[in-house]
Amino acid sequence: MRYAYFPGCAAHHGSAHEYDLSCKAVSERLGIELVEIPDWNCCGSIDAVYASNPVLSIALAARNLALAEETDLKTVVTLCSACLYTLARANQLRGDYPELEEKVSRVLSEAGLKSGRDSAVRHYLDAVLTDVGYDKISQNVKFPLKGLKVASYYGCLLVRPPKVNHFDDPEHPHSLERLAEALGAKSVDLPDKMRCCGASLVLTEKEVVTDMVHGILVNAKNVGADCIAVACPLCHFNLDARQRDIESEFKVKFDLPILFITQLMGMAFGLQPKELGLDRNCVSPMGLLGRLKPPSDS
Amino acid sequence: MKQAIETSITPSTIDRSFTEEVKKMPGGERVLDCFACGVCSGSCPTRFAMDYSPMQVVRMIQLGLKEKALSTSTIWLCASCQACTTRCPRGIEIPLLMSALKNIAISNNIQSKIEAKPKFHKLFTSIVRDYGRMHEPSLFLRLVKKTDVKALASSAFLGLRLTRKGKVRLKPSKTDKLNRFLSAYEKVNGGDTS
Repeated sequence: MRYAYFPGCAAHHGSAHEYDLSCKAVSERLGIELVEIPDWNCCGSIDAVYASNPVLSIALAARNLALAEETDLKTVVTLCSACLYTLARANQLRGDYPELEEKVSRVLSEAGLKSGRDSAVRHYLDAVLTDVGYDKISQNVKFPLKGLKVASYYGCLLVRPPKVNHFDDPEHPHSLERLAEALGAKSVDLPDKMRCCGASLVLTEKEVVTDMVHGILVNAKNVGADCIAVACPLCHFNLDARQRDIESEFKVKFDLPILFITQLMGMAFGLQPKELGLDRNCVSPMGLLGRLKPPSDS
Repeated sequence: MKQAIETSITPSTIDRSFTEEVKKMPGGERVLDCFACGVCSGSCPTRFAMDYSPMQVVRMIQLGLKEKALSTSTIWLCASCQACTTRCPRGIEIPLLMSALKNIAISNNIQSKIEAKPKFHKLFTSIVRDYGRMHEPSLFLRLVKKTDVKALASSAFLGLRLTRKGKVRLKPSKTDKLNRFLSAYEKVNGGDTS
């Protein structure tokens, strides 16, 4: 399987580089070929750029999809739920608003680019689970995550909004739980799994976000989770990198490793911690690794 | 934080052109369809911090209360999480609507209750223009410089933790050929270099 790959800024060179590393390692194992979109740019962030420069935001997204078209691959996959939203939303807005589309397509043609309207955009997780499938994932498991209680956190944009995102159910998704079980883990139900972590407010309304993230971590602790699985660099930053600050603010101890789905897969596939960037997680997941044993019959 | 919309509404307070302006923007076309069920406000994860609920802001638009709507903290506290959009029985895309209001507020230089947020939007865009990609350390530094230099101290531990884990890359990653695209954008969008 081959896809045009849009890593997104956080995973490519920013705070979530371990997501990109582990994604590549796991993809190789699963026979997925990722072709990085040449000279890709910021997705165009509907949340951040659109408010001040709507046409620029949509045109930036369109440039990525136009460059993807030049690779002749029809499907773009991305690691970031927020990038997924922007790229998919840009396509929908271009189709629904002729005035906006007129400007965006003029920008692209002036810049000598293709139309960018023919690419489909999906989350990497969607591609793995739908196209590769749970069976093939299970077959690759060498160290089942036996006894590990995994809480799945979807956050906001992995499966929403249904108008532009057709992966799983927008209110009651189960893909992440099924994936955790395919890896041999025990899935624990996280009531707050669809509740936003507040990522887009993290730099300007820190107190608000602190309250939101605290609620999610308490929720995960209450259901007895050993770790939380996430599929978005922004969710990861809030739950992992800021966990110590939240602990000292609320005088509690969570010590909950937050793992990217690709890290969790890689652990079960028996890949090396370094390949998965496990040493880059702020809350160390190394303790979890010690609990994994190869199955006795292999 | 909860409060009623306390404004006496007379023909002179109603700015119909505001309702029409919003209706033309993405997310605004169905604003008159709202029948005030409140599902958006009940689903909103940041409602606890807002002065008015999302439903009240929709009502303000319906009533043409331009200044009132644009001066709420609500429009800046929307996290764009799409919980309301997923559930709205009238198909109103509230986060897009909030972005439309932010856009009107920013283009008209309307003072925001959350002072840092309009600056955040502009600075984020400026970094994307400079490098083509986001560079988290630059965004943080440019923002504290413009808003709250004290935030440098309160974020020191986080900064150290990120640095120790190799999560702070000092040199931005850049695109090679975005300039041609930006010139094209400026030409089409009437010289917007903001």
